[in-house]
Amino acid sequence: MSQQYYLLRNREVPDIDQMPVYLAHGGYQALRKALNDFKPEELVDMVKKSGLRGRGGAGFPTGMKWGFLPNDGRKRYLVVNSDEAEPGTFKDREIIEHNPHQLIEGIIISSYATKAREAFIYCRGEFLFGSEQLNRAVREAYEQGFLGENILGTGFSLDLNVYRGAGAYICGEESALLESLEGKRGNPRLKPPFPAIAGLYGGPTVINNVETIANVPVIVSKGADWYTSMGTAKSPGLKIFSVSGRVQRPGNYEIPLATPLSTLINDYAGGMLPGRQLKAVIPGGSSVPLLTPDKVDTPLDYESILQAGSMLGSGGCIVLDDHVCIVGATARLVRFYREESCGKCTPCREGTYWMTDILERLEHGLGTLEDLDTLADVADNIGGKCFCPLGDASLGVLVSALQHFHEEFVAHVEQHACPMGERLYDTVNN
Amino acid sequence: MIRLTIDEQEVSVPEGTMIVDAAAKVGIDVPIYCYHQALGPLGACRMCLVEVEKMPKLVTGCTTAVSEGMVVHTKGPRVEKGRQGVLEFLLINHPLDCPVCDKGGECYLQDYAFEYGPSKGRFQEPKIQKVKDGPINEFVLIDQERCVLCQRCVRFMSEYVGEGQLLLEGRGVETVVTTVDHEPAQSHFTGNVIDLCPVGALLSAPYNHKGRPWNIDRQTTICPQCPVGCPSKMTTRESHIIRMEGRPVPNRDWGWLCDRGRFGYDFGYHPLRILDSTVQGQSVSSAQAMRDTAQWMKETIRDHGFGSIGFVMGGHFTSEEAYWIKNFAQDVAHTSELATIRNVPGYLPITLNGTFEDLEKTDMTVFVGVDPYEAVPVVHLKLRDRLRHFPHLKVVGVGPRKLTVDTLPGTDYIVPSEDEAAFFAQALLLAAGEDPTAEMLAQKVKDYPLPIDSTTLKSLGESLLKAEHLTLLWDGENPQMEQIFKALAQLREAPTAVLPTFGPVNWRGYEKAGIPVRYEELRRLLTKAKNGDIRMLVLWGSDLMREFPDRVLAQEALAAVDYVVSAQIRPPLDMPYVDALLPVAAWGEVEGSYVNMEARVAIAAAGVQPPGQCRPTKSYMAGWARLFQQAFKVEEEWDLFADTEGDLIPRHGNGGDEMMPQAVERPQLPEDPGQWKVIRGDLVWENGIPSEILEPRFTPFVGRIHPLEAEALNIGPEGGYVDIETAAGTVSLDVRADSSIPERTLWVPRSSHYDWNVLLNEVRQIKRREEVRSL
Amino acid sequence: MKPEWNQWAQEAKQQFPEANSSLLPLLYRIQHAEGWLSDETIRDVASLLGLTTQYVESVASFYSLFYRQKVGRNVVHVCVGLSCALAGSDSVMEHLEHKLGIREGQTTADGEYTLLEAECLAACDLAPVIQRNLRFVGHVDPENVGRVLSDDGKEVNS
Ligand SMILES: Cc1cc2nc3c(=O)[nH]c(=O)nc-3n(C[C@H](O)[C@H](O)[C@H](O)COP(=O)(O)O)c2cc1C
Ligand code: SF4
Ligand code: FES
Repeated sequence: MSQQYYLLRNREVPDIDQMPVYLAHGGYQALRKALNDFKPEELVDMVKKSGLRGRGGAGFPTGMKWGFLPNDGRKRYLVVNSDEAEPGTFKDREIIEHNPHQLIEGIIISSYATKAREAFIYCRGEFLFGSEQLNRAVREAYEQGFLGENILGTGFSLDLNVYRGAGAYICGEESALLESLEGKRGNPRLKPPFPAIAGLYGGPTVINNVETIANVPVIVSKGADWYTSMGTAKSPGLKIFSVSGRVQRPGNYEIPLATPLSTLINDYAGGMLPGRQLKAVIPGGSSVPLLTPDKVDTPLDYESILQAGSMLGSGGCIVLDDHVCIVGATARLVRFYREESCGKCTPCREGTYWMTDILERLEHGLGTLEDLDTLADVADNIGGKCFCPLGDASLGVLVSALQHFHEEFVAHVEQHACPMGERLYDTVNN
Repeated sequence: MIRLTIDEQEVSVPEGTMIVDAAAKVGIDVPIYCYHQALGPLGACRMCLVEVEKMPKLVTGCTTAVSEGMVVHTKGPRVEKGRQGVLEFLLINHPLDCPVCDKGGECYLQDYAFEYGPSKGRFQEPKIQKVKDGPINEFVLIDQERCVLCQRCVRFMSEYVGEGQLLLEGRGVETVVTTVDHEPAQSHFTGNVIDLCPVGALLSAPYNHKGRPWNIDRQTTICPQCPVGCPSKMTTRESHIIRMEGRPVPNRDWGWLCDRGRFGYDFGYHPLRILDSTVQGQSVSSAQAMRDTAQWMKETIRDHGFGSIGFVMGGHFTSEEAYWIKNFAQDVAHTSELATIRNVPGYLPITLNGTFEDLEKTDMTVFVGVDPYEAVPVVHLKLRDRLRHFPHLKVVGVGPRKLTVDTLPGTDYIVPSEDEAAFFAQALLLAAGEDPTAEMLAQKVKDYPLPIDSTTLKSLGESLLKAEHLTLLWDGENPQMEQIFKALAQLREAPTAVLPTFGPVNWRGYEKAGIPVRYEELRRLLTKAKNGDIRMLVLWGSDLMREFPDRVLAQEALAAVDYVVSAQIRPPLDMPYVDALLPVAAWGEVEGSYVNMEARVAIAAAGVQPPGQCRPTKSYMAGWARLFQQAFKVEEEWDLFADTEGDLIPRHGNGGDEMMPQAVERPQLPEDPGQWKVIRGDLVWENGIPSEILEPRFTPFVGRIHPLEAEALNIGPEGGYVDIETAAGTVSLDVRADSSIPERTLWVPRSSHYDWNVLLNEVRQIKRREEVRSL
Repeated sequence: MKPEWNQWAQEAKQQFPEANSSLLPLLYRIQHAEGWLSDETIRDVASLLGLTTQYVESVASFYSLFYRQKVGRNVVHVCVGLSCALAGSDSVMEHLEHKLGIREGQTTADGEYTLLEAECLAACDLAPVIQRNLRFVGHVDPENVGRVLSDDGKEVNS
């Protein structure tokens, strides 16, 4: 497929992670434009008008989020969430590793718009190369006068720090992220107060995803109207989808929202592996319900996907084919939440442990039909009762799998074994 | 006030109240584990789920503040299902070993499991294995498998106490509560986590497996170990006290105890406990001892007339016991020579006596000579609580060493005890300018040299005058401070409250009972004894040689009288002079009232029988009276609570005169400033009440010197022994380095097993002692 | 405590002046130099930053990239996320275990390798993927895991 790139510009411009290359390809022009031609409020309006929604998972309108900051003279912070750890999602990594300057340009513009004077990138600890790239790019930006005091002579000043997490998925949750950034255990905070009111160091704080912020320079240079010309009225613009699993060409694809899921899988990602049929797809990262093949033509926008019974989430698309055991796949995902539960609240801590145990037992043919009821009930006891959304996130795939693939669960019980074989990989390649 | 409806009941509560607290107000019990009002909301356990109309999900009642018109349901199928679910989660990794668990029968998990729990376990997988019966320290055990990770203990220790000795280690389902480097926790407050733990994860090591809910008794009482007199509960079994727990008093006290009070309850059956009567070195029957001592009294009165017997109260007796002694002395022994043992000379008029409520409101607290952490630990906690709510709390230490600590930081002014009053007088004079009271107060000490510059003094004086709610804690070491307190009360319009931290713990009770408590009274009484005007001493719990600062006078008095009768729970230092040693019932063995440092009256229960021949004070008085063939009614009506002010001793003193300050006397300048200085302080661990349980925590090295001094003496961090040459001879002592002690200064605890009152004498030299003293 | 730690602590404090933000960066730096974080190191870090040992211990134990146990000179993380599992990461793990003669979570006797599981490493396009000392190696062939253990293993980021 021919592709136009606005976010993954590294795909067409080699070495765009280097400052001179980035500059030569129009880099930091949006920043000049933003600082010289717009007042902060105007930029907030522009982002509001663009309809840009958070790409970290929740899809909250970014401009509106920026508008929540109280005008009380306290020091404001902008924090970029680069903790990307939602299974199946790997878009932010590509940006920070290969197109970091676009992110930095976006951060400077966004800070100017939100009147933040200090910004942080919270970078997932495992992204060693990514954090090195960010650190280098930040240094280059300081050297060019895009960061620091009196940026481009406009009087606007900004400091940007790269902060490395240390291995904890929960730190992607915004309040846990702030705790971690303050040097604490990454336990989520009680809300309210929300970060906009009392965030980092108690100050008003905007937290946005890497991709969200990387959109900002594009919007500034091309205009809100251009942005809304793509996608739908409620889900305008571009989005990167990370496709993985049983497809020919796993990878990131930057496409307009509302592109059908089937186009993403079949045209961009090259379709299923030879001879394989689509069995299910998890369209928005491991936290969202899976969709069955009948939903494969659903347009990839927030509303349509919701309508179809799932969520757009982070855009991490995991494609499962007919050789994949649903029980095994579900067990694997739920196990992830067990490993990553912070342990603060009871339902998430104990519930994910329990569900993992049942699922692994089922997968190995040691389950009973009663277990299926228990599983559903445990899920119900977790749902809506946890301190933060992680507990609920552990249920998305499980609950939908129990619903759509009940037979397969029952088959595991009745055959006292996984009908597809003991291990995921072996099964899919047999 | 916010109005809302909970389960059809209307309730009004202040803004910011959490739903669970609002519910409690109308008697609706919402189950909780992680929430504790003193610690604030956390929202971790999810047990307190309630339904709020117009909210899509169940919410946690402990983290959701009330709002106007809110409609809350704490019952109903949704709520019940939610709670059942949470409870089941808590149980899946719980060992369910209730039959062998100390908390069995007193456990929230058990209680709620009974109420909400699943009828049968659905969990079939192996439970996570963690540490069982691991130590937090000598007194507290942890069973990590029973832990529900409510974090109460960790938050209490780090946020509330401010001594981070417990921590959450790991993440997720593997998270455990443990200690730093898995080493024993050292704080004075660790035992509180046992009370705080809603399940059987944190247990009392000395109580472990000693009792079960059905074979124990629990009684409401107070702790007798220091002048705080913390509300507590006493657990007894087969005439042994086997546990102390904190007892929250609504709107007044969270129910914290210090480890000294919580675990030091075993003096009743300590090997040192005096169980037999001894007369002239011979063990005799109780009746014989009564007859002999009564005979001595009769003889003394016959030969030397009325007023020839002196009674000195001490120890840990109830106010009622003091009252009977006074009556016996006056009516039967025909003497008004009564005094109370004192180890410091200060006295506080009741009018100035503050309460703990003052600590909840204070914006400035001054420690005069006392570090509350050491002397009255729970007062330190109360101040921590205040600091958490009021971070601007100003803390000031004035005394011969640094008195503030990291967890209650403040400014210290190091002045010798004898200069404390002069210091305050000058500060007030500088701040109050022409004020006649300040002028009068300072007239004799205006130009007395102090090691603090006048700008600093002035600004301190200004703070003292400006504070909106001034509280002072006072060790009573410098009696002139009484004038300062009176002056402060006159100079200030806003509240001024003084809390005396000195003992004996129930001195106010003795005072209320009619026994003089001023130091001069005792000195006068002892001088009379020394001079032969008093010929017999009855020491009721007092141990003159151990407690009275003027050891020489004490010794002379004891040597001069014909008879010394001493009623004790442990061997007194006076022993060489004691003619009859009487075993007497102690706290926990008799019911009666105590008056604490707030001048608040509280009842201590009798939970156990006195051991051996120990008899209550009452039996001694009645028995003696019988031998005198006199009627003596111990049941006589006397009600401490008869006053109108509830359980507080009324604050009106004996008229205006008592409140008029007098000029502060000029201290004597030390002869040789280069000489070693000996200073003293109260340490609740060294209050002399024996305890085997606490043995491992009694620090062997109690004397303290400056770290540089320790280094010069080649004393390492673990402490060492020194010989101290004084004018009166050489004393040996175990000391360690302490950076709160100034140089050339030796700190010793009062009333310990050390000869602290001998060390008063001019110290000439301190030398490292090479051989280890065998104890 | 190594003499340079103090310098590092000052630098970390300068970079993140507020709250305790300098803690994680300092732990990283010291762990990088020492290989792991011993109880003693934790105590030193606490004193360098004016924090309590309890606090630092608790924080360090929360994060999986802080090693409270000695690890090998090479830490190999095998991603066990779903996308990698679908591409054979379980076999990768097994082959590595076999090759190194250790189980997951263990360190070879010569202190050369530690083998650990990683949750989804956000590189599913390269599944199955591993990290060696946090450097990605993608498309690992289970039958031929040897290459990921040496420096010749292709670094996928460059
Ligand atoms: C358990 C959990 C993990 C999350 N992980 C991430 C993440 O890795 N990256 C991210 O950008 N947002 C993540 N989020 C969402 C953030 O909390 C937050 O909504 C987001 O960073 C806001 O940015 P946006 O509005 O630009 O999407 C996570 C949320 C939860 C509950
Ligand atoms: S749901 Fe609870 S245990 Fe899970 S991550 Fe959130 S707060 Fe932690
Ligand atoms: S008491 Fe409310 S969540 Fe624990």
